[in-house]
Parts: sequence; structure tokens; C-alpha cells
Amino acid sequence: MTRHGEASVPDPSTDAVIEVEGVSKWFKDVVAVSDITCSIGWGVTALLGPNGAGKSTLFRLLCGLTTPSHGTVRVLGGDVRRDAALTRHIGLVPQQETLFEPLSAFEFVRLAGILHRVADPGASARWALGVVELDPDDPRPLTTYSKGMRQRVKVAQALVHDPEVLFLDEPLTGLDPRQRLHMIDTIQRLGNAGKCVVVSSHVLEEVERFSARVLVIVKGRLAAEGDYHAIRDLMDDRPHRISVRTDDARGVATGLMAHSSAIGVEVIDPTSVLVETTDVHRFRHTIAAVARQCDARLFEVNPLDDDLESVFRYLVGG
Amino acid sequence: MAPGTDDGLTGFESFGSAPRPSGRSPSVVFTLYKLFLRTQVTRTRVISLTGLGVVGILVAWGLGSTLLRNPLARGTDFVNLYGLSLLVPIVVLVFASSMFGDLRDDSTLVYLWLRPVSRVTLALTAAAASLTVSWPLAVPPLVIGAWLTGGGATLVRATLLAATVVTLGYTGIFLALGLRVKRPLVWGLLYVFIWEGFIARGSFTAAKAAVRAYGSSILSDLTGRTLVLADISLTWSIVVPIAAGVIGVAYTVVRLHRQDVA
Repeated sequence: MTRHGEASVPDPSTDAVIEVEGVSKWFKDVVAVSDITCSIGWGVTALLGPNGAGKSTLFRLLCGLTTPSHGTVRVLGGDVRRDAALTRHIGLVPQQETLFEPLSAFEFVRLAGILHRVADPGASARWALGVVELDPDDPRPLTTYSKGMRQRVKVAQALVHDPEVLFLDEPLTGLDPRQRLHMIDTIQRLGNAGKCVVVSSHVLEEVERFSARVLVIVKGRLAAEGDYHAIRDLMDDRPHRISVRTDDARGVATGLMAHSSAIGVEVIDPTSVLVETTDVHRFRHTIAAVARQCDARLFEVNPLDDDLESVFRYLVGG
Repeated sequence: MAPGTDDGLTGFESFGSAPRPSGRSPSVVFTLYKLFLRTQVTRTRVISLTGLGVVGILVAWGLGSTLLRNPLARGTDFVNLYGLSLLVPIVVLVFASSMFGDLRDDSTLVYLWLRPVSRVTLALTAAAASLTVSWPLAVPPLVIGAWLTGGGATLVRATLLAATVVTLGYTGIFLALGLRVKRPLVWGLLYVFIWEGFIARGSFTAAKAAVRAYGSSILSDLTGRTLVLADISLTWSIVVPIAAGVIGVAYTVVRLHRQDVA
């Protein structure tokens, strides 16, 4: 999609919804984001990075809240900063808590619907508040709302006009465990519904549940992008650590040492072995054969460091 | 079924329930206007600035009760010194600078900015909301005060025109100031008291960059009372502040286009 404006409708067949081309952003002498090129497609993508890595700056660049010092950011083929009509297709959940405090939740979300020219902003506001499990008939002003309730109001105002592209900045902040589960489910459903959802978050174990695709920013640069399992597989310099539980740890360890798929084997106790390997796929075949050879029973083969948190830790050098 | 945006987007289906489009959507301009008033016109502001107007009325009543000669001259001085130098700029500063200044400071501007609403609409609506509340709080008390000083219909007319013109000028300027700088109240007070009240009184050239000088010139022209640095013609005294207000609104539009939003 290259043209947008009053009559533009996003084309779901377009692979790259957000295109970032050689983007840098600096504040006086400080380079916050340096020469990032990437694209984000439909579905859920998590934007990750340690504090001070430039994650927030990149997030703000993506939704047009700040201009790049160099390079271009295009959302649905257009520039959000130059084309206000494009914002009709965008929903943003910003990080800050402040809302229009004298308004009720319904008035606040309805306001967003009116500004987006939704045909029935009242009905849409009720629907959006229902999605985040808030009562649209609650007359209390937002100033009385808890942090978690405010967070849900912010999500509702981002959904009210049914945008194609959603930017969610730390959407799980302040939510209780049940609401976190609900929000994760909502994000998954948005992704499954064909939205482009960009989520900035530091709660990695929860990000892992709604998105496999990540963009990792480290020191202002794009450290990795794509499916984090694939990213992990590409880390040749970081052997995979696998825990094996068996009834004969010593026998299995001896058998594994004879195979080149394991580069390190450590017997932890009589029923568990810690293995390091650079080739997980080959190891999976080997371990079964070794167990058969030594007549051992395998209870569990558990990768210890191919979860998102481990991948993230490796990427940021932690 | 989609909620029905103008361009027919769909997607609520994945969440089961679906709002049905019905009727006309409320006016964006009227909604924004109400929002600006509701969020920025606080009870504290209204009470304190009403108090400033009441003080002016009491002072004017006191002046009018004395047996001084030439009530038109003393009334003109009162309007010039209290009304145009203090009451009008302070009232307009508080409301105009807060329209975008408060939204920028607490980061809620994004809830208006990232919407398909033209920047011109945003700026004009904010200016209209500011005028709606600042004009009644500044101009009528000053006009009542002018009448109470005994200056007569001439002074009342001159006060009404001068105060209205400078209100228009200050509104645009302080609207832009609110978006441009942090702590716009401080900068606005510096402009009013240091620039207009001190530096601009030092030369005719500097006075040209003071809205107050134009208001004083209107007063001086219509009442015949000679005021300090108030020698600008009536036409220019009306045109320049209004033009400054328009430029202020235009600059606000430009800032809304270019400025980073938190």
C-alpha cells in the first residue's frame, strides 16, 4: 500500500505493515537509536530491550510521536506525522498513566470514538470497555481509578475505532494476575484477528505467551528480529543447555560423551544430567539412541535456555 | 459487524459482540470544545480569577466614590494600570497557556494528537474555549469597574474595545506559548511583568512588541487621555493585536505538526 488519506483502506495482503528504513534518532550528542532497518508485519510483535537501550525511542518513532533524525518510518505506506488521516488506522496505548481525569471511563473512550469518527461512538465505547472488562455505566471520574483500571481504559480507547495497527506500551503494567491473563488473551486474539500489534514490554515470560516474533534493541541498535526460537538456533557461540532426567544418569552421560553432538556433559545427581550442545536437532536423535544402548529410561529432556528470557539475556550480554 | 468507521473498517468480529452503527456521530469540534473547557476550567482557577476581577471592581468603586476631579482621566488610568496590565493578561495567560500546556505537561496531548483531527481544528477549538472562559472573567469586570470610576460611556466603550482586542491578542500568543515552552505560566508572567511592564515602557520600539501598548493606545485614542507609550493609531491598535493572536494560533498549528508528543 503506497497511498493513504481520506479514502484509504489498509491492504491486509501487504506483508510489511510498518517499514523502518535506516532510522536514527539523536538528542544533541546522545544517540538513542542508530541506523535501524526492519519491518513489522501482521500479527503480534514484541519490542524488547534493556533500560536505556532505545526501545522507548524506537516505539515513539514507530507511532509517529517523534521524528527520526535520519531515515524513514512508514506505517501502512504513509507517514503518521504528515498525514493525520492515517491515525484512523492506528491505536496507541501510551505508557503514561494520566488520562482526562474529570471524565468517566465511558466518556473518555467515547471521546476517542468521536475523534475517530466512529458512526456510533457510544456503542463502540461500551463494546471496547466490555473487551477490557470495565463497566461502561460506572459514573466515577477517572481520577478515582486504580492503576490497573486506568491501564484497561487506555486499551479500550485504543480499540474503540477498531484500528488495523495497535501500539501497546507496557500494556500489562498495573494489572492483577487475572487481568494479565485476560490482557494476554486479548493481545493474542487481536493478532489472530489479523491486526498488526506492536507490544513493548519487559515482562518476558508473559511476552513469550502472546508473541514469538521479537525485535530486540540493544544500545540503540537492532540486535535481533524474528522468531526468538530461530534467533536462539542461530546463536552458534552459545551452546544450548539441556537437562536430562533419567534412571541412569551416569550411563547416559557416558553414552553422550561418545557422541559429538554433546560438547559438555555433567552428572548433577544419580537421576539428572546437564548437557551442552551446539546442535539441538542432532542431540534429540542421539539422546534416544544412547538411552536405548544403556537401557536407561528417559523421564524428561528439558531445554534450559531457549526460552525468550534466555535469548534476551544472551542478546543483551547479561 | 464492524463498529462503522467512515471508511468501513471491520474487525470486531473476533471479539464476539459488535456495536451497531446508528445515527450521526457527535461533532468533533463541539466535543473538543467541551473537553477543553471541562479539563482546563477548574473551580480553583475560576474562583481565584473571579476574585481578581472583584478586586478590580472594588478598587474602581473606591475610586469612583472619591471626590477627585476628572473622573474620565482617573478611570482611564485605572483601566490601563489594573485592567490592561494585570487582570486581562493574567486571566488569558492562565487559560490559554493551559489549553495545550497542561496536556503537554501531563502527556495527555497524545489522546488528541494521534487522532484524525486536523491541527487547525485543534488549535482553533482550544483558542475558542480559552476565549469562552477568559473574556467573561476579564472584560465584564473591567467594564463594570470603568463605569464605577465615573468615566462615563466613553470610558466604558473604550474599555470594552481595548480589553476585547488585547484578549484576542493574548489568547493566540499564550496558546502558542503553552505548547512551545515548559512552565508557560512562568514565561507568560515574565512577558507580562518584565517585558510589557518594564522593558517595553523604556522605548517606543520595544512597546511595539507589547500587546498592552496597543490596548493603552485604544484607550488613549478614545478617551483623549495621554498614556505612556500609547501613541499608536486606533486602526493599528486594533489590527496588530488581532493579527498577533492569529499568528499565535497559526504558530500553534505549526507546532502541533512538528513538535514531539510525549
